[in-house]
Amino acid sequence: MQQTLALCPGVTLRCIQDHRFKQSALSIQLLRPMAESEAAVNALLPAVLLRGCQSCPDLQQITQRLDDLYGASIGTLVRRIGDYQTTGFYCGFMEDRFALPGDEILAPMVHFAMELLLEPITEDGGFSRDFVESEKRNLIATIDSERSDKRAYAAGRLLKIMCKNDTFGIPRLGEKEQVEAVDHRSCYAHYQKILRESPIEIFYVGAASIDRVAQLLQPELARIFRQLRALPAQTGYRPCDGQQAEETQDIAQGKLGLGFVTPITNRDPRFAAMQVCNAVFGGGMTSKLFMEVREKMSLCYAIGSGYYGSKGILTVGAGIDTRQRERTQAAILDQLAACCNGEISRQELTAAKESILSGLRAVYDSPGAIESFFSTAAISGLGRTPEVYAAEIAAVTVADVVEAAKTVVFHSAFFLKGVDHG
Amino acid sequence: MDKQYYPALDETLCRATLPNGLRVLVVPKQGFTKKLAYFVTDFGAVHTDFSLDGEKITVPAGVAHYLEHKIFDLPGRDVSAEFAAMGAMVNAFTSYDLTAYYFSCTENFEDCLDLLLEFVSTPYFTEESVEKERGIIDQEIGMVADEPGSRVFENLMTAMYRSHPIRIPILGTSQTIRDITPEILHTCHRAFYHPGNMLLCVVGDVDPEVVCAQACRILGDAAGNMGQKAPFPEEPTSCPESAVTAQMDIAMPMFSMGFKCPPIDKGEAAIRREFIGDLAAEVLFGEASALYLQLYAEGVIDSSFGGGYETIDGCALLNCGGDSQYPEKVRDAILAEAAGICQNGIPQDTFLRLKRSAMGRRIRDLDSFDSTCFRLCAYEMTEFDYFRFPELYGDIEAEEVCQFIRQVVRPEGCSLSIIYPIKEENP
Repeated sequence: MQQTLALCPGVTLRCIQDHRFKQSALSIQLLRPMAESEAAVNALLPAVLLRGCQSCPDLQQITQRLDDLYGASIGTLVRRIGDYQTTGFYCGFMEDRFALPGDEILAPMVHFAMELLLEPITEDGGFSRDFVESEKRNLIATIDSERSDKRAYAAGRLLKIMCKNDTFGIPRLGEKEQVEAVDHRSCYAHYQKILRESPIEIFYVGAASIDRVAQLLQPELARIFRQLRALPAQTGYRPCDGQQAEETQDIAQGKLGLGFVTPITNRDPRFAAMQVCNAVFGGGMTSKLFMEVREKMSLCYAIGSGYYGSKGILTVGAGIDTRQRERTQAAILDQLAACCNGEISRQELTAAKESILSGLRAVYDSPGAIESFFSTAAISGLGRTPEVYAAEIAAVTVADVVEAAKTVVFHSAFFLKGVDHG
Repeated sequence: MDKQYYPALDETLCRATLPNGLRVLVVPKQGFTKKLAYFVTDFGAVHTDFSLDGEKITVPAGVAHYLEHKIFDLPGRDVSAEFAAMGAMVNAFTSYDLTAYYFSCTENFEDCLDLLLEFVSTPYFTEESVEKERGIIDQEIGMVADEPGSRVFENLMTAMYRSHPIRIPILGTSQTIRDITPEILHTCHRAFYHPGNMLLCVVGDVDPEVVCAQACRILGDAAGNMGQKAPFPEEPTSCPESAVTAQMDIAMPMFSMGFKCPPIDKGEAAIRREFIGDLAAEVLFGEASALYLQLYAEGVIDSSFGGGYETIDGCALLNCGGDSQYPEKVRDAILAEAAGICQNGIPQDTFLRLKRSAMGRRIRDLDSFDSTCFRLCAYEMTEFDYFRFPELYGDIEAEEVCQFIRQVVRPEGCSLSIIYPIKEENP
C-alpha cells in the first residue's frame, strides 16, 4: 500500500513498506520539462555529483563508503516520462536485518545520498572542473555507444524523424553538442536553479516505515532553499510530416524501423485496448509480427513493436537481410491490417492480455520494479495501481482491439542498411 | 526431500535426486506471485567431442545452440503460444558450458512446469524444420557479429587458447551450422538431455513435493546411456597470442583483456577460487582500488570499465574490459599494480571491507529470482551448494588473494583484444 507525505514545498515522499526483500530501494528525482536546452546538462548532473562530496572527495572514497555499507550501490537516474525528464539518484542497499549486529545501513545510506546531492565539490564558482570534464567525456561515450548498438540507433533515428515538433524526439541523454557546451560553472548554476525550483520525488521501498524515512530525510531537506515552479502539463503528440529515410553502414544485418501514430494516449479511456492491440500486433513471441514475419516467412531474426503511451506512438523494429526490406515492410503492414480486420483469434487475445497481466502481477516481486512502476505512475500524473490497471486489461475485447487498431496510422520509416558486398 | 534453512540468508532450499537421476532444487518463496523454473543440461557450446554407447562422436560447432532452437518444436503444436496462453514467458539460452530452458509465470504454474518438462524431453526434428531454422540462426549469427561486445570477447578467446573449443563462437559460424542435421540433433539430445545429466530448479511459492512428482511423471524412468564428454586438449599456461585487433563501426576503441588461469575441476575448491578471483579483481582494478581511481582520473578508462573472474568448462581467466583510447596502458598499469600488491600484501581493513561488500551484493541479488535460479544451477553443476556462500567468504584469507594474483597476473599469461573504429568514418 503506497503512502505519501509532503516533506516540504514540492518535495514528495512516497513509500511502500515491504518486509519480504533482502534489499531496499530509494530514488530521488528532480523533475524537469524535457527540453533541448537542458536535456544534456540534466543527464550530466547526477554523474558529476556522484564523483565526490565534501566528506568523500573522490571515487575511491565513495566506493569504500558504499563497500562499508555492505556493497550498497548508488547510481544516476535519468528518465524520460512523457514531456518530463527526471534527474537524480537510485540507491539499492541491503536491509539492516542482514547486517552484523550493531551495523546499520538505511540511516547512513540516506545521509550519504543527501550529502552527495547537497554538498558537492566546488571551485571557482562552479563544480570541480575535473569532474565535469571527465563526466562529459563519459556521457559523450555513452551517447556515441548508441551508434554501436545498431538497433537502438535505428530506433532513435526513427523517433527523431517522427518527432520534429515534439519533445519525444529529444534523446533521453541529450545530444553530443549540448554536452560539449556545458562547463563547470554553467552546470553548477543549473544545479542550484533546479534544486530550488524543481518538484522533487523521493520513493522508498523496504522494511522501514514512512515515518522513519521521513524522519531521516527531514533535517537534510531543511537545508535547501526552495522556490518551487510548477511544470507545464503533459501534452499528446505534436505532429509533423512523415518521411521515409535510410542510411548505409558497414553492418551484416539491416535494421528496419516503422513508426505509427494513434490519438490514444495513456490518458485515454481506450489505453488498455491500445496496449492489448500492441501486444497482439508485435508485443512478444506470440504476436502476429513474430509468428508471421519471423516464424512463417523467415524474413528476420528479431522483430517486435513498442507502444509509447505518453504520446500515442507505436514503432516496429526488425533486424533483416538488406535485400528483404520491401517484403518485410509489406508483411508488417499486412499484419496491422489483419488487426484492423479483426483477424484475432481467442488464443491471440488471451496470450496478449496474459503477457501484460503477468508483468503487472510481478510488479510487487522486486523493489526495483515497485520503484519504477509507482514513481513513474506518480510523475506521469496517472494514479493507476497495478490492480486497477490489470482489471482494465482483463476487460478488453476483440472489438476494442479492432477499434484501437483502426486509429493507428503509418507515419514514417527509417532503414539502416548494410553495404551490399555481394 | 531434503530441506535446509539458511539463517544468514533467510532462505530455504529443498533438494532431491529422483530415481531417474534428475536433480531437483526448490526455493519456496512465500508471499511472492512470480514463479520461475529452470530446466538445465550441462551441455554447452564447448562440448563438441563426446562418446555415446562406446562410439566417439564429434559434432559441428554451434550444435548446442541449434538444438536449443529446435527443441521448442512439438508435432502440430506451438510451445511458445501454449505458454503465452497460460500467461507465462518461456525462453532459453545456450552458454559455453550449459543450455537452460526456463519460464516465469504468476499463475498456472503446474501446467507450465508440465509443458517445460515435456517439450525439453521430447525430441522432434524434421528435415524441413531443421532446414528452415538455418536461415534464422544465420541471421542471429550476423546480429551477434555486429555486436562489438561479443566480438571483442570472442577474439580474446582465440588469442588466449590454442585449441580449446572456446575459440569458436557459441552460435558456431555460417559454415559450421551448414552441417547440422536432424540425426546430429537426435544424437546430442540422447547423450545430454538424459535426466541424469539435467537439473530442475524452481524459485517461487510452490510445493516442492509436487514439483518432484511432476518431474517423475513426465520424465518417467531414464533409459539408455548418457554421453561422456571427451577431455579438453591440454592448454599451455601462456597465451598463444598477446594481442588481437579488429575494426568495426564504433565510436571509440573497445578492449577485453584476459589473464589465463589454470583450469580447475569441480567442487568447493572451484568456487573458492572463483570468490578469490573476484576479490583479486576488486583489489587490483575494482572501483575502490587506487588503480581504478588513477586510470579513471587520467581518462584512460571510463565508467564502462569492469571485470571479474570467469570460468568455463576447461578454462578460467581473470577478465576486464571497456572502452578506452589506451588499452595497452591499462594492461601495463594492471601488471605493475599486481607486482606492487604481491610485494606489499593487502591491508587487512581493505580486505575485510571488500569481503563484506561482495557478500552484501550477493545477499541483495537473492531478491532477483533469475539471478538466484541461475546461480543455484551453475553452482550445482559445479557440485557446490550456492547458499553456503557466506561461510565460504568467511574463511578466505588475504594471502590467498595475493597468491592468486602472483600466479595469474603475469605478462606471458595475458592477451589483449582491441576493436578499433573504422577510420574515415563520417557519421
